[in-house]
Amino acid sequence: MTAVQDAPVRTGAPPRHGRRRRRVPPLVWAFLLLPLAVELFWVFWPAMNSFSLSFTEWNGVGAATPVGWENYERMLADPVFATAFRNNVIWVIGFGGLSVVGGLALAVALNRPGRGVGIYRSAIYLPMVISLAVTGLLWRVMYQPGGPIDSGLGAIGLGSLQQQWLANPDTALYAVLIAAVWRQVGYIMVLYLAGLKGCDPTLEEAAAVDGATAWQRFWRVVMPQLRGVNTVVFAVTVIDSLRTFDIVWAMTRGGPYNTTQLLSTYMFQQGFTLVNLGYGSALAW
Amino acid sequence: MTATELSRRRFLLGATSLGSLPLLASCVGSGGGEAGAGQASATVTLQSSVQDTGPKAALEKIVAAYGGAGSPVTMNSVATEQFRAQLSTYLSSATPPDVLTWYAGSVANSYAAEGLLLDVSDMWTGDGACAGFSDALRSLSTSAGGQAIFVPTTYYWWSVFYKKSAFASWGIEPPTTWDGFIALCDQLKARGIHPLTNGIGTTPWMAAGWFDYLNLRINGADYHRALLAGERSFTDPEVVAVMEQYARLIPYFHPNQTSWDNQQAVTPMVNNEAAMYLVGAFATQYFPEDQRDDLDFFSVPTIDPAVPSAEEAPTDGYFAAARTDNPDGAKALLSHLASPQVQQEYITTSGTSNLPTSPQVDTSQFAPIVQKGIELLNSTSEITQFFNRDSSDALQTTADTALTRFLADPSDIPAQLRDWQAAAEQVFSS
Repeated sequence: MTAVQDAPVRTGAPPRHGRRRRRVPPLVWAFLLLPLAVELFWVFWPAMNSFSLSFTEWNGVGAATPVGWENYERMLADPVFATAFRNNVIWVIGFGGLSVVGGLALAVALNRPGRGVGIYRSAIYLPMVISLAVTGLLWRVMYQPGGPIDSGLGAIGLGSLQQQWLANPDTALYAVLIAAVWRQVGYIMVLYLAGLKGCDPTLEEAAAVDGATAWQRFWRVVMPQLRGVNTVVFAVTVIDSLRTFDIVWAMTRGGPYNTTQLLSTYMFQQGFTLVNLGYGSALAW
Repeated sequence: MTATELSRRRFLLGATSLGSLPLLASCVGSGGGEAGAGQASATVTLQSSVQDTGPKAALEKIVAAYGGAGSPVTMNSVATEQFRAQLSTYLSSATPPDVLTWYAGSVANSYAAEGLLLDVSDMWTGDGACAGFSDALRSLSTSAGGQAIFVPTTYYWWSVFYKKSAFASWGIEPPTTWDGFIALCDQLKARGIHPLTNGIGTTPWMAAGWFDYLNLRINGADYHRALLAGERSFTDPEVVAVMEQYARLIPYFHPNQTSWDNQQAVTPMVNNEAAMYLVGAFATQYFPEDQRDDLDFFSVPTIDPAVPSAEEAPTDGYFAAARTDNPDGAKALLSHLASPQVQQEYITTSGTSNLPTSPQVDTSQFAPIVQKGIELLNSTSEITQFFNRDSSDALQTTADTALTRFLADPSDIPAQLRDWQAAAEQVFSS
């Protein structure tokens, strides 16, 4: 039973009708315009530059040569672009799906009191503290031929599964994906744990008394209460999966032969390794 | 309190208007921006891409001890990949680093064509530091405009490296013919030893080493240069012949080559699990110190005796930015770095098997393997550098993709060469 709060007593005067609209003080304008200027200068202006560059050919030296739509035509005919695009779709679904499902499952499992729950939670969240580049290096060591993963498979009698995870085009993208999910899952777990803490336990108790199974309680009682968290998790996951760059670059650089290229890594390679700034900008758009 | 508030408001308004000013600046890529160089500075900045431990330490020591014009020199070490990506930005900025490490050949020449490199022709005449260098180095360091724009200080050779003790214990000799080489590989493989090692994981360009050499041995240096310049096609029957020979070698490589980089690739050789490694002489520093004297090499054997001999000898060195505000200091540092004493010190302290470009360096004290390398390059009729240095980094990327795919599955060579040619045309047309 929760205490019912008294309705707040209205103390102020009733709003006057037909009041002259208040002038916005210059200070507020300043607070609005200053961030706007910063945003325009540091975000929109470079973006416009990149857009104009995408219609040119430029290697960073001298003047750019305008080439019209050539970069975009090249992009549509580029097999690496097609691979990168397909990989990006796989990435958004795989990375988003696995980290949300994993994060939610862990949050539910660790949301009950028990011995060592705090340690588990910290341990699972810990990878999030490590930068993606370091995560990539760590997992490269794990996937090395004769590294921990291969030895582990050998030790449990699955030696036939041993392979060069990052050098095999069939496994490389998924090997990187797992490393990325390993890091992301703790973050999603924390978001869901916070959400679960905000759920009202009495509702679940009531449902249990009414004979709902654990499955029904979770989907019909808890999930609707997590709607707000779900929105946040969805946004975070989509943003994180689209901006993925560092872990792929650290682990495979888009190789072997461009099979793990994402749009971001391909754009970086074209724009900054090969200094095709025009084509790189077209890819960025 | 009102006064404070007002001043804060004024401050914020002022800041707002200031913040929006740069919006009026011109777009990037529109050329221009030829800002006048500031006051001539008295110091010199050296931007270095040298990252291997030994050479980096050696260069730092030399720079710290330098006492000539422009000293003390500020040395910035930048990761090689980042250096490569930003080189054009360094050179075209209004205040560029004065002296930069890089490669001789097509990359340097393309910057020279943009007018970004300092003319150092006076170092190549009279009693200049490079005056006594060989004609091959002179032509390599000269731009299309006829000016010397590069100061080569070291070069090295590529060959098939092996361990003398391992060959002795297996009772084998370095082969002298191509058939003998294949037979040797078969013999080693039958004994459970991986005949060849390589590292094409994070260093996929290593796959181009064998491509270059097979092309040099089958089609010769002239064809190789023409192919890399875009005058011939990767779908030519000549290239198909190269790929067919390369395909013969695939079973002999250590299967882990696709996961390794060129440094990890020496591990099986150190452990006597692999026998031979086609690599540049820089790799000797990757071996444990007590095994370096055990190393020896032989040149990739002749395939077609009618083709003139050729070796790959990439040349490293320095150039200076045309926009340096201290050209005299830059040249003084370049002269110092190119001087025989400094070349000798650099090579001996860095632990690599690099060769000096100055003929005045006393090489009699160098390790026997280095002497043999000098002999190899002096006796060959043609010298090339390496795939990327004879073409461009962009073409190298197409080679990385094409060759690593080919090594994973060589079943459809014509289709792979068509893809390679399509990617190469994209590079040549841009």
